[in-house]
Amino acid sequence: MAAPDRLAFVCPRLAGEGAVGGAETLLKNLALHAAARGVAVDFLTTCAQSHFTWENTLPAGVKRMDGMDVHFFPVDERDVGTFLAIQQSIDRGRPVSEEDELRWLRNGVNSAALLRHLDQHAGDYRAILLGPYLFGLTWFTALAHPERSLLVPCLHDEPFAKLACMKRLFAETAGCLFNAQAERELAGELFAYPDAKSRIVGMGLDAFQADPTAFAKRHGLTAPYVLYSGRREPLKGTPLICDYVHAFRERTGRDVKLVFTGSGAIDAPAGLWPHILDAGFVSEEEKHEAMAGAVAFLHPSVNESFGIVLLEAFLAGTPGLVHAKSRVLVSQCRAAGAGLWFRHYPDFETQLLYLLDNPDARATLGARGRDFVAREYAWPAIERKFFAALDALRPA
Amino acid sequence: MSATPVLSIGAPGLDVDRLVADLQATVDRKVRDGVYADARVARAEKTNLVHLRGSDDFLTFYLTCLRDAVFVDISDFEIRERRRFFGPLLVAFKKVVWKLLKFYTYRLWSQQNQVNGLVITALEGLEEQSAARIAALEKRLVELEKATGHGRS
Repeated sequence: MAAPDRLAFVCPRLAGEGAVGGAETLLKNLALHAAARGVAVDFLTTCAQSHFTWENTLPAGVKRMDGMDVHFFPVDERDVGTFLAIQQSIDRGRPVSEEDELRWLRNGVNSAALLRHLDQHAGDYRAILLGPYLFGLTWFTALAHPERSLLVPCLHDEPFAKLACMKRLFAETAGCLFNAQAERELAGELFAYPDAKSRIVGMGLDAFQADPTAFAKRHGLTAPYVLYSGRREPLKGTPLICDYVHAFRERTGRDVKLVFTGSGAIDAPAGLWPHILDAGFVSEEEKHEAMAGAVAFLHPSVNESFGIVLLEAFLAGTPGLVHAKSRVLVSQCRAAGAGLWFRHYPDFETQLLYLLDNPDARATLGARGRDFVAREYAWPAIERKFFAALDALRPA
Repeated sequence: MSATPVLSIGAPGLDVDRLVADLQATVDRKVRDGVYADARVARAEKTNLVHLRGSDDFLTFYLTCLRDAVFVDISDFEIRERRRFFGPLLVAFKKVVWKLLKFYTYRLWSQQNQVNGLVITALEGLEEQSAARIAALEKRLVELEKATGHGRS
């Protein structure tokens, strides 16, 4: 019997429904592009929008959206205290028993209703694409149907990736769609993951034109600025850029503003607040304008598997300044020839001064970034990689 | 600080690996020259420490920054008031509050400063000792490798 052509995507949240997140955006975009190519797509997600509370804020049910059927399932009741206690131990690198790993997954984000749906309909799908890797929802769903499950893991070098349960998840599922070579290498190091079981796909980005002066004009910015876009939280490194920009201003006497777009609280020194512009959640167009006008796009996170916003900044013609510990972001900067990487504050100060004082070099880096992303991450190229990966890992 | 460019590298042939390596070499030289031995740098690095642990030069660099930040200024300071109305009255009130508080807090603060100073001295001592020990062991290892012919070529 021929394998069905329908695809299921499983993700804890649906990007865009009040939710921001790289993995969520990636899964949704792959699903949308598969649907646009005529594939029947079911996007299975939860009713939650907030990744802090995981409260069921959207109604359960099926909604037709942009050519795909989006199924919303309620998040199960969970013991947040148990979850956080074990999570803290894992995060601090303390030994955690396999039993506690399972308790952590069970008390994470899960949906029994989603699992029930797949118990009844898994056979309808050629493949079930799931991610990111560290959610109970991903783990239990993938291991309930391992032969059909393809992980889009968005793997990071972090304590959670070193758990025994994750080794099992990667070993037993049918394959992986990685975002970058560096992520594939990490899986090789952590799980001895064979290259034959994976393909590198990533996500496509549509080229855009943005006026580099529009954002500054709209917000009355007259000084040069550096930009961060995305979730603001310690794991993403936002306190670090606040501390760095504050020290930079104090030590160099240069008037450089720090602009944020996205959601979450900003943890910044009091003296920096008059020089921060928090634009909040902005439209894609405004985000691109903010990127195009920035001296540099700052990406201080060391836990990235792709770096969508960095690639968007490259498309806007803006060089990146990334943390040297993020092998994925450094590899993107290297491949594009469009960004620099800092180990510590002294590097950051020197590199930002260099970008401020060398507009020609900045323009060259920016132009290279734009060319690189337009060439390597155009949607037609990504769609080809995606369908080739499906053919290789889950032949029809 | 001077506003002159750190490096002048021709943009058309820009190679980011070389550029980063050149900038880092400049930074490493400046770190050795003490350009970043600054409490503001130590404060800025507080969330980056976890990523710097593996670096050979990190501890020396960080201890230098910390040495600059370790003693908190607990001496008297000029009390001012920006508000025009009741300004002198508010200044007098704050002076009284300060005098009352100082009696209770000065001892604590000076002891804390003492502890800070002792801790950093101990850390510096430990770092110097372990660096000297490692250097001696490395030297001995090289001599042993030479003697047995198992050294790295």
